[in-house]
Amino acid sequence: MVMDKLGSSLQDALKKLVGAGRIDERTVTEVVKDIQRALLQADVNVKLVMQMSSHIKERALKEEVPPGMNPREHVIKIVYHELISIVGRSADIPLKPQTIMMIGLQGSGKTTTTSKLSRYFQRKGMKPAVVCADTFRPGAYQQLKTLCDKLNVPFYGEEDNPDAVGIVERGLAELEKNDVLIVDTAGRHSLEADLIDEMEQIHKVAQPDYTLLVLDGAIGQQASEQARAFNDSVGISGVVISKLDGTAKGGGALSAVSETNSAIAFIGVGETPDDLEKFEPDRFISRLLGMGDIKSLIEKA
Amino acid sequence: VFEREVILDGSDIEDSLWELEMALLESDIAINVAEAIVESVKGELVGSRKKLGSNTGELVENALRSAIYKVMSANVFDLDEYIRDAKKPVHIVFIGINGTGKTTTISKMAKRLKDMNYSVVIAAGDTFRAGAIDQIAIHAERIGVKLIKHQEGGDPAAVVYDAVQHAKAHNVDVILSDTAGRMHTNVNLMAQLEKVCRVSSPDLIIFVDEAVAGNDAVERAQQFNAAVPIHGSILTKTDADSKGGAAISIAYITGKPILFLGMGQGYDDLKKFDPKWFVDQLFE
Ligand SMILES: Nc1nc2c(ncn2[C@@H]2O[C@H](COP(=O)(O)OP(=O)(O)OP(=O)(O)O)[C@@H](O)[C@H]2O)c(=O)[nH]1
Ligand SMILES: Nc1nc2c(ncn2[C@@H]2O[C@H](COP(=O)(O)OP(=O)(O)OP(=O)(O)O)[C@@H](O)[C@H]2O)c(=O)[nH]1
Ligand SMILES: [Mg+2]
Ligand SMILES: [Mg+2]
Repeated sequence: MVMDKLGSSLQDALKKLVGAGRIDERTVTEVVKDIQRALLQADVNVKLVMQMSSHIKERALKEEVPPGMNPREHVIKIVYHELISIVGRSADIPLKPQTIMMIGLQGSGKTTTTSKLSRYFQRKGMKPAVVCADTFRPGAYQQLKTLCDKLNVPFYGEEDNPDAVGIVERGLAELEKNDVLIVDTAGRHSLEADLIDEMEQIHKVAQPDYTLLVLDGAIGQQASEQARAFNDSVGISGVVISKLDGTAKGGGALSAVSETNSAIAFIGVGETPDDLEKFEPDRFISRLLGMGDIKSLIEKA
Repeated sequence: VFEREVILDGSDIEDSLWELEMALLESDIAINVAEAIVESVKGELVGSRKKLGSNTGELVENALRSAIYKVMSANVFDLDEYIRDAKKPVHIVFIGINGTGKTTTISKMAKRLKDMNYSVVIAAGDTFRAGAIDQIAIHAERIGVKLIKHQEGGDPAAVVYDAVQHAKAHNVDVILSDTAGRMHTNVNLMAQLEKVCRVSSPDLIIFVDEAVAGNDAVERAQQFNAAVPIHGSILTKTDADSKGGAAISIAYITGKPILFLGMGQGYDDLKKFDPKWFVDQLFE
């Protein structure tokens, strides 16, 4: 059985439109099918893809191709607009005194991102400090402490105390003099009722200004459901997509943002504290679609 | 009695196949794998005969079911039998992307083997990630198995080598080697992994990935398998994503069996992979 090489499918699809002077229904149907496929391959939620592709089809058939644009550019522009309406604004975490709580599935990258954010605020001249509220995963305390020590970031944790809520209460009081307080929590998923309950209690005590959901860039169809559960439980103010230094496209994270009406703040592109980038919608969409620089294409119009 | 039959053509089954393909995608089977399987089912069904009046949807579903079962039951490999019969020590290396559950799975496996009365040593082969050695040391202590470790920043190949020497000297049955998580696209880290495997020539290499992974599961399984040929895979976090379609992507692309499923964070949350059970719950 033959399998496609990943990535290039949309580019190929849009080539079909190059020759076409006018957009007819058949061409559009064919191209939209390929767009659908590219989005599904990028892990965008199946239902969301169906919804988006019917929009795209409708618009491609209804809207006049603007002068100076060929049908191909027109369809790209429509696809881009549909995607940008989901991820459009990047969540802006201001440089002011605040408390940030990190949440997410097991192994998604919360602890690493905590160290990256500390580094980020440090570089901006702020004084971050970190509380370890993961009392569940073996070695969680040592992991975070090691990372903080390397960065000279004040750290609070209680190694053998399972009471995460109490630790957060004491930690935030002790670190009060620092300006950005980051609370790292244990990994959990929506079906772990006890752990979801613990997260709610931590949230109550920490009263964070920002609650950041850390999502693995490679997460698939579970993304929407998990994000919804976290959002229902404590509310999400922003998303960080981790592990985008591999080949994952991040469509799961896009679906999570769509589901919770939140926004992406940062992306993680490696394991070191410096591997954090501000989220850039255009770059993200180009990557998601497996296309080069989509922005310049759009701006041409 | 006559049984009347009709011959199926593509248009008869198109809708059923499309619906099933969408269901597969919603279960996190990678799209190119889903398409390949659906395509093969289509090829098989078109031109075949069905009894007049029998349900086409059911026919298509059954064909798809058996196609997936075939993928999931190809090259069955029973780790328990293997360990029982193999010359000791048996050395198993666990590899995969960052955070998929390698270390936790090793702990579960160590507990399982210990419960089966094997002696086990773990190699703390992740010398890179902060807290990795502490993490596995806590697990080893809780389970009550020996751990061989070096300092953070040390050479992983040397740790693994030491663990193998230890096992040989002390008649230990099984060596479980942890490795640092790494991206399949990171050339240096993949070369390091190849070195670990070359120096210690393990009996088995097991790829660990997670059920919540989407389409990327195909890409990384393929690239890990190309760099250090694996014997099988373990899919973790199936408690978060019960359908676990990533298992199909991985089995399909590597042609190697799924050995176990991780079903939670406890030591006993490791389930031997059963293709029939898996396919049943997929179509539930
Ligand atoms: N390549 C790469 N690895 C990352 C990135 N972010 C995190 N990781 C790695 O992913 C693994 C898991 O990261 P952690 O920060 O421990 O994840 P976590 O969410 O805190 O995990 P739990 O506390 O167990 O839920 C580690 O090996 C990290 O080094 C990233 O952006 N790129
Ligand atoms: N719910 C659930 N969590 C799991 C399972 N397996 C592992 N985890 C959790 O996933 C997180 C990461 O697990 P690790 O074993 O540290 O993963 P790893 O692959 O060794 O990570 P790195 O060494 O950083 O690459 C931890 O919080 C584990 O408790 C599972 O089957 N179910
Ligand atoms: Mg953590
Ligand atoms: Mg590990």
